[in-house]
Amino acid sequence: MKNFNINNLHWQNSANPIWRITFSSICLLLLALIINACDNFVDVDLPNSQLTATAVFEEKATANAAMTDIYSKIRDTGLLTGSASGLSHFLGNYADELKFYGDPQNGTVAFFNNSLIASNADVKGLWDSSYNQIYASNAVIEGVDQSVHLPAVDRDQLKGEALFVRALIHFYLTNLYGAVPYITTTNYEQNRHAVKLPVGTIYNNIKTDLELAIQLLPENYISADRVRPNKYAAHALLARLDLYADLWDEASNEASAVLNNTGLYVYEQDLDKIFLKESTSTIWQLAPGFSGGNTLESVTFNFTGGPPPLSALTTELMSAFPINDQRKIHWTKAVTDGTTTWYHPFKYKYSDTGSSVEFSIIFRLAEIYLIRAEARAHSGDLIGAKEDLNKVRNTAGLGDTSAITQTEILDAILQERQLELFTEFGNRFFDLKRMGRIQSVLSGIKTGWDAHDILFPIPEVELNLNPNLLPQNPGY
Amino acid sequence: MKTFSLNKGLTVLWYPIIFSFYLFCTPALARNPLRLSDYQQQSQVTGIVSDGTVPLAGVIISIKGKQIAVSSDYDGKFTITASAQDILVFSYLGFKTVTIPVADRKTINVHMQEDIASLQEVKINAGYYSVKESERTGSIAKISSKDIDKQPVSNVLAAMQGRMAGVNIVQTTGTPGGGFDIQIRGQNSLRINGNNPLYIIDGVPYSSDPIGTGINSAVLPTQPSPLNSINPDQIESIEVLKDADATSIYGSRGANGVVLITTKKGKAGKTKFNAKLLTGAGRVTSFMDLMNTQQYLQMRREAFANDGISPIPDYAYDVNGTWDQNRYTDWQKELLGGTANITDIQTSLSGGSAQTQFLVSGNFNKQTTVFPGDFNYKKSNLHLNLNHESDNKKFRINLSAGYTIQNNNQPRLDLMREAVNMSPNAPALYNADGTLNWENNTFNNPLRNLEGKYQTKTNDLIANIMLSYQLMDNLQLKTSFGYTTLGNTETTASPSTKYNPSYGLGPEFSTLIASSADRNSWIIEPQLNWNKVIGKGKLDILAGATFQSQQSNQLVQYASGFSSNSLIYNLASASNIFTMVSEESQYRYQAFFGRVNYNWQEKYIVNLTGRRDGSSRFGPGDQFAAFGAVGAAWLFSREKFFENNTVLSFGKLRASYGITGNDQIGDYQYLDTYASSGINYGGTIGLQPTRLFNPKFGWETNRKFEVALETGFLNDCLFITAGWYNNQSSNQLTGIPLPGTTGFSTLQANLNATVQNRGLELTLRTLNFQRKNFNWSTNINLTIAKNKLLKFPDLAGSTYTNQYVIGQALSIQKVYHFTGVDPQTGIYTFEDVNGDGILSGPDDKKTIKDFSPEYYGGLQNSLKYKNWQLDFLFQFVKQINYNETIYFGVPGSQGNQPLTILNHWHQAGDIVPYPLYTDGSNSAAVDSYYKYFESDGVISDASFVRLKNVSLSYDLPIKDLQCKLFFEGQNILTFTKYKGADPEFKSAGYLPPLRIFSAGVQFSF
Repeated sequence: MKNFNINNLHWQNSANPIWRITFSSICLLLLALIINACDNFVDVDLPNSQLTATAVFEEKATANAAMTDIYSKIRDTGLLTGSASGLSHFLGNYADELKFYGDPQNGTVAFFNNSLIASNADVKGLWDSSYNQIYASNAVIEGVDQSVHLPAVDRDQLKGEALFVRALIHFYLTNLYGAVPYITTTNYEQNRHAVKLPVGTIYNNIKTDLELAIQLLPENYISADRVRPNKYAAHALLARLDLYADLWDEASNEASAVLNNTGLYVYEQDLDKIFLKESTSTIWQLAPGFSGGNTLESVTFNFTGGPPPLSALTTELMSAFPINDQRKIHWTKAVTDGTTTWYHPFKYKYSDTGSSVEFSIIFRLAEIYLIRAEARAHSGDLIGAKEDLNKVRNTAGLGDTSAITQTEILDAILQERQLELFTEFGNRFFDLKRMGRIQSVLSGIKTGWDAHDILFPIPEVELNLNPNLLPQNPGY
Repeated sequence: MKTFSLNKGLTVLWYPIIFSFYLFCTPALARNPLRLSDYQQQSQVTGIVSDGTVPLAGVIISIKGKQIAVSSDYDGKFTITASAQDILVFSYLGFKTVTIPVADRKTINVHMQEDIASLQEVKINAGYYSVKESERTGSIAKISSKDIDKQPVSNVLAAMQGRMAGVNIVQTTGTPGGGFDIQIRGQNSLRINGNNPLYIIDGVPYSSDPIGTGINSAVLPTQPSPLNSINPDQIESIEVLKDADATSIYGSRGANGVVLITTKKGKAGKTKFNAKLLTGAGRVTSFMDLMNTQQYLQMRREAFANDGISPIPDYAYDVNGTWDQNRYTDWQKELLGGTANITDIQTSLSGGSAQTQFLVSGNFNKQTTVFPGDFNYKKSNLHLNLNHESDNKKFRINLSAGYTIQNNNQPRLDLMREAVNMSPNAPALYNADGTLNWENNTFNNPLRNLEGKYQTKTNDLIANIMLSYQLMDNLQLKTSFGYTTLGNTETTASPSTKYNPSYGLGPEFSTLIASSADRNSWIIEPQLNWNKVIGKGKLDILAGATFQSQQSNQLVQYASGFSSNSLIYNLASASNIFTMVSEESQYRYQAFFGRVNYNWQEKYIVNLTGRRDGSSRFGPGDQFAAFGAVGAAWLFSREKFFENNTVLSFGKLRASYGITGNDQIGDYQYLDTYASSGINYGGTIGLQPTRLFNPKFGWETNRKFEVALETGFLNDCLFITAGWYNNQSSNQLTGIPLPGTTGFSTLQANLNATVQNRGLELTLRTLNFQRKNFNWSTNINLTIAKNKLLKFPDLAGSTYTNQYVIGQALSIQKVYHFTGVDPQTGIYTFEDVNGDGILSGPDDKKTIKDFSPEYYGGLQNSLKYKNWQLDFLFQFVKQINYNETIYFGVPGSQGNQPLTILNHWHQAGDIVPYPLYTDGSNSAAVDSYYKYFESDGVISDASFVRLKNVSLSYDLPIKDLQCKLFFEGQNILTFTKYKGADPEFKSAGYLPPLRIFSAGVQFSF
């Protein structure tokens, strides 16, 4: 800013009355004062409705709000949302769990027909919201690292949670899209040129993040209803990662770390109580969007009249339930219009109750038992494997497994996973894929299925904007 | 100035000295004849000066050859001492000078004639300075109260429609209190919200940002315009600054033009009371031609027959006998056919002495709607203006303040769409007992929409004080202090009574959206003006500074679950309250500006303007930028070779080039912040990163070039202005597409894209007739404009790829090419551009349609015969628009259709414009019908010529009382081939502008 130098202005008209000179001098003085005082006139303070990123991480309450907002986003958008545009619904249709009946304009059709193309809006949407959640996690990690006043215990907690979320989202991304970038910074100049990493490298990065998260996160939940992850949520994800990476002993150990904490985790035996928000077999769940609310899953899957407005369970799944499997009775529900009968998932039963009854569960004990069963089976501990498998079967009202050989046990585990974990975040699709069964299972029942469908296409726009992501996944 | 040649300089310096000496001596010289004339017969001459009907105040009456002058008072009276041989000279700006010999008379009444040609002498307000019309170097369009007062409109922008070249204004709704779209010389910015001009009211910038959030006004297609707060009747003049020469002094805010609004001021003279009472009626301009019951039911039966559905299903209440098969209601008439009553009362009191003048005015305006029910818009306004000048004429103060209260009470939703879509045999609206008729749950009564209400209250104060002091003869210090405050509350109530009672939904399903917003701003602008005669020319220098601050707050809440519908406006009675928006923002702006103008013998004029300004909307280091322009004019008609030319009376060539900026990007965009997401997780409301932050972005720059020729012929009876402009807007501030791996899809940054606006503006003014009792003048303006995207790096890879095309306008749509009805199948067909057999997405949408007008303008005539005055304005626009079919569903489905649809496909071989009927089960037909909406088949010519305004007035010849009766009309006649609701109108589904007739009386004493 240029300063007005009043010394250069001489008013030497002696004919002027004194008051006139005084008046003009005062005016000019005022002008000069204003100009001088306003060196920083256009620098404005922050509005009360916003906080700078640095200020957010100097206080526990605001830092926590930055973290919990990521969980809100995970609940409402992207891969793990229980809404119709999350993996539970999309991958259920993509594999053999759900059949789509809804509006032909609905984006789910492309998943159901296995006809995804690179310009598909949902493929892009899942990608974008995932990286947005990763961005927010990285912002928490960076914010906490630079924080001066935040107590160490809160710093550890938040950083641990953010690392866990970053690992979780990358885990799903690499299983869907194959080689993807592993984003660890908020710097967009770096991220806009991000390079794809092989799946193995991504797994290593996830493992590193989770191991650090396990160190940082506390044993106990810091919140009621287990809506904030603790150490064991990270163990659970690591167990799953090791299983996917064929690291049987590690997977088994990580699962045991969770299962051995009997003080926190007790396998709920009543099928109608497993998905209640107080369930003791829950490791981590997402709180609803408003107090008194329930899950988005119940809205997506439940319907009262036929034909189904969106999706219903496939006959393949329904006929896979053995007689006496209580899950068929308690976790699915028949709807009929008099001539045709459809079934919908009924794990989450409540939508509008006035007070919360169910939350969306991301990790629960049954999966951990099944992980350990599979890991044990692979490493030759068939007795231990059957023990874990029977835990799940008995809870479902079934007797002990009749499987004897390792192959039989592994087949039994795959089937048990199908029946136990249906419409939960695409477990079925990932299981078929990692066990190498996907081609044989799906090509028989899904006409649109091609070998290249084991990976989603990388969104076309992404390839245009960042050529480092080339080449496109095979077949697209 | 220091490099001024000494030799020349010395001679030049002599002029002012000689001139001062001359001035010093003249009074002495002048006094001598006076003394001499003592010996002559002196007498008092009195008289009244009028323009034929109205007395003229302030007319200068002088005696030829003498230094005596008086002026007429408020009643046009004058008294002057003159001798019998003297010749009186009557001069008044805007009127022809009259010379009359006294010839021994004691009373001389003079009738002065308006001299439209002398408009060249009129001072034009250019914001920080004013300039004589003939000497301006920039492009400035002006309308004055003369034109504004004659229109029964409540928004200033409506008063400007069709009257200014290069200014395109479109009304967005016929519902009072709505908004207008304005573009001065086209769309400059890719951001739709970045194209507003800068509004300055009496020197105070007035934010044009819409009030409210848009969440809360479903009845209006766009957010309410804050300009509704200005009462058109209080405006003295509106000047629109268009080119670089005129706008560069507004720096970073001048890119989209500047609209200067000056309110009326008091005049010296007798205290005068003025009142205007107006009452009027507004109706929908035209209804669409729709099917009657017979035609409609025949269509429905044919549709079911085509679909092979028999018997007619039980849900088709209109055609299966549930509803009366003979009933007919013209729903457009029933739901939109009401009359909007307009009442307008304007009063003012003004007067004052030579030193102090005042004006106080109060106004009330009320307008009801064409919808059934009791809805209205009310505006009350108080305006004050005070001027004072010290004895020695050195110190001046001018205070102006306006306070406006608006109350708008409208239905929650516009009934337009339902009015055209309802089956013509739909049941009665009311039961015999006066309750809403739901016809046993078969009828979705359109009046349910009137159960919910949209209410808004706006209070607005605009105040300005201007102090000026003449420090020396040629140096003036001026400071302007301005303050504006605006408070707004809006509510949209949806009570459960809008649902069919058989659902049994109680007040727990009632909802309310309540919002409140306020905005305060202050501005201080000190300014120095200095002038000096140098050589044969005059140098004017202006330097000033601006400090401005604006604070805004906004709160929007959504409430549901009320205990009773009568408590719906009480948030405390709601069981759920969710805060949708809670924000505040501050904007600070600072600038230094200047102007150097050199005018050599009123023949060659150079005008340099510039501004360096800083805005809080940009990050540290990028807050300041400089803008400037150079303008020049050559009045070639004053050259020797034209001196005796009887044909050419005025000729000026002017050109300007300069840079302005645009900072309409919202506040705080450069900051790395977290804001509340409003979303709950386990009892905590989340905080989310607001954006990818980019502290490094700057202004959009707009380079404007203009060259114009102004010529007057036959004593300016024919005056033509032709201007050509070429504006290029670059450094576009927009969201640059980023890969999703960055966490966001865009980054707010300057993109190296360039938008060009080129155009030709022509105005023609003719004085067709000028006689004592009859005057007739005509004004024509025409604008031919072209918008073009010149450059956009990596358009294909950006999110704009399906929206823009290089070399085309920003206002294009990419659509399918419609190829008519297939004579074999009866369904719509389209061109499969890529030939893949599938009609889809961007690949087949290759036809480009440009929705910006090709040319537009107005033709205004003003006729005056004795006490009668007639003005009328034709507005014309050449453009395309979505045609009438956009309102309607698939032909054959439930819902009325335009009459034209009757020409439809019956059987194989029919070659017709419209497809076969289907109730909706023919999916190929339905699919092609929706594709039709995305094709050029639904886009038609929407050019029109409209008799926009007519005003007829008669001055009653009553002594001591000026009394005028007038009749005014707006949107009276429209000539168009367009079959939709209104060709001017872009917001399908909303009430188009109304046709208004009004009559009133204006008197003053």
